[in-house]
Parts: sequence; structure tokens; C-alpha cells
Amino acid sequence: MDCAQFGEIVHELDRPGTAGPALRESALAHAESCSRCAQLLTETEALNLALSALAVQEADQHAPPRLAGVLVQEFRREKAAAAGHRVRWQVAALGIAAAALAAVGLSMYQRSVKPGVVAEQPSASSQPAPAAGAADQSNLAEAEDGSDFVPLPYGADPAAAEEGAVVRVELSRAALASLGVSLTSMESEGPVLADLVVSEDGTPQAIRLVSEDTSSREF
Amino acid sequence: MTKATELTDDGLLGRMIAGDEEAFTLLYRRRQPSIYRFVLHMSGKAAVAEDVTQEVFMALIRDAKRFDPARGTLGGFLFGIARNHMRKRWEQDRRLVPLADDAEERGELVASGGAGTDQFSSRETVFRVRQAIATLPENYREVVVLCDLEEMSYDEAASALGSPVGTIRSRLHRARAMLLEKLRGVPAAGRTPVAGQ
Repeated sequence: MDCAQFGEIVHELDRPGTAGPALRESALAHAESCSRCAQLLTETEALNLALSALAVQEADQHAPPRLAGVLVQEFRREKAAAAGHRVRWQVAALGIAAAALAAVGLSMYQRSVKPGVVAEQPSASSQPAPAAGAADQSNLAEAEDGSDFVPLPYGADPAAAEEGAVVRVELSRAALASLGVSLTSMESEGPVLADLVVSEDGTPQAIRLVSEDTSSREF
Repeated sequence: MTKATELTDDGLLGRMIAGDEEAFTLLYRRRQPSIYRFVLHMSGKAAVAEDVTQEVFMALIRDAKRFDPARGTLGGFLFGIARNHMRKRWEQDRRLVPLADDAEERGELVASGGAGTDQFSSRETVFRVRQAIATLPENYREVVVLCDLEEMSYDEAASALGSPVGTIRSRLHRARAMLLEKLRGVPAAGRTPVAGQ
């Protein structure tokens, strides 16, 4: 070993995990024959001692205990905030799921209702105006319960009825009476299902009872 | 089930992320002394050491998932945070960094006479060594603190400082040479390397 090599290794002679300990013997042998390297070795060992003494002296240095309290409080606060964040996400997820279910339900409802409405959409060819006579509506009436549409007293406008739509509604007996329909059968006190031909302006033009025997109607 | 005290740093961190307060407390007790001492040596101020230690663990609480075990140890990660916080402080207040020239002008760190083993191990010499460390440039000071005072290996120090192992080794070598020069009372520039014997 020469002085340059000694200078390279002198600070690692006692350092675990380096090449220093393995080269210690040859380094000591060189120092015995070189006064400058011997002095460097002595100074380095003295520095090692001083650094060790400093490390020991300061080994019990640590942050003040109150810092632990501050950090534990912060930990709890962050934990609570994280839990709140999770709850908000869960609520949001539930809301999204509910909205999706509602959309699916609405879509299914519309699919189940729309074909009936479309099938009953009156047209000039298949459904003449109610005012034109009940006999012309026999096909549609047979599709329901065998009854015909009956023009309402104030809705005898054949042209308006031709452009109208058939809607199925539940009407109270009082509402039926206001339309000029009275029921003789008192078997049921509840609402009555009826199909209304409604013109474009929303005026009912004709009515057909669905749940009542047409023979019980009196106009 | 493994006791929390027997867990590694990574194990404790995992529990801490899951909300285990005891795991956090253990991790803090295990890691804060070295962080505190590191900052104390680097800044020379107990108040700074306390503040930075607090910031380091606040960062751990708020963003523990940022730690990637594949990139190093948790200790290295924490030292890295401490280092960043110190640098921010130094940028804000340069006076926190002891300047070697100023210290030498004050004559606080200049040793007189030779540096024998007895002299270096004395109480006064330990004080002088501490002061000499404080006057080292930052890059050299941190490797001395980590490798000589905190007894980290080169690998651990490299992980903590984000530098290659070779850089750590050469910096430590240079830092120790500078310390010897300071303790001898001879300017580092005035001493030529020994060669060719």
C-alpha cells in the first residue's frame, strides 16, 4: 500500500460494510513505515473517537414530548377527514345508483305504456272522428272491451278528434258526471278506467269506459 | 397477530395508513430522534429541528402513500422530506446556515496545536468537533451527520440524500479531511496531499 492508497482508505478502516476493515492490517503496516501517514492515522482515529463521543452525547436528543401530542391530534383529524370523505363518496355512489335505477325504471315504464298509446293513436284511416258515429270505431272498441267511443256533448268536432290521441285515465264518478257520463251501476264506488280521445288542444272529444259495462251508461 | 412493536417500518406504515394510531405513534417514536438530531446538526437550532421534525411527520400523516418502498427505506424518505424543508427554510433565511468563514473569523472553531487522541476525545474537543461540523458546507455536513453521527451505511445515506453511493463515499472522505483541517487549525486549502512515499 502506498500513501495515496492509504489516504483513500484511512477514513474507512473502522467502517463496516466497506473495504476498510479488510485493508486495515496493510494500512497499519504502511503507517509504521510512513510518519505522515502515521500522523494521519492518529488524527483520523482521534476524529473517530470525537465523533463517537459526540454521537453518544447527543443520542438522547429528541423532539420535545409535546410534539407527539400535536402530531397525534393531527393524525386523528386527518383520520376523521378521511372517514368523512369516504362517507361522502358512499353517499354519492348511492345517489348515482338510485338515479340509474330510476332511469331504468322510467325507461321500462315508458316502454310498457308507449305501445298502447301508439296502438290507440287515432288516425284518419283507422279511427274516424267519434262524432262521425260509433259504428266506425268498432275495431278499436273491440280491442278494448267491446264498447265504442261516445262523443262528449261539447266535443263534437270531428276534425279535432281525428288529430287527437287516445289516453287512458282513471276518472272519479264525479268527473265522469261533469263530462256528461253517469253510471247506473253502483257496484263500485272507486275510480273508473276510461279512454279519452283528446284533441290537439287538450279538449276531450270522446270517451269510452273500460271497466264498466257500457250498458250501464246513460248520457 | 404480530405485535406492533415487532413490525418493520413498512409494516407500521401500512397500519398507519389504515388508521392505526398506535402504529403511527410507534413509528414516530422510532424515527423522530434521528430526524430531530439530523436537523439539529444541520441547522444548529433546536427550534428549527423541532419545526422541521413536525413538518416531516405532518407530511407523513397527510401523504404517507407517497412513500414507495421500491425507491428506498422509510428512513431515507423521511430524511429526504427533512432535507427539503430545511432547504426551504434556508432559502427564506440564509442566516440559519452557519458560514465557515464567519465562524473561523470568530475563532470559535480553530484548534490550536496538534490533535492527539486525548485531545479529540476531551469534552472540549467534542464541542469543537460539533462546531466544526456546523461549519462544513451543507453537502459535506449532511454526510458526516448521517454516516458518522447517525451511523448510517453508505447505502442508507445514499437513499436518504438521493445521491449515488460513490458520491456519498467521496463526500464523506472530503468532509472528514475538512474536519481534520479545521481541528488542526490549518485551512483546508493550505494543506497539500501526501504523495509518493
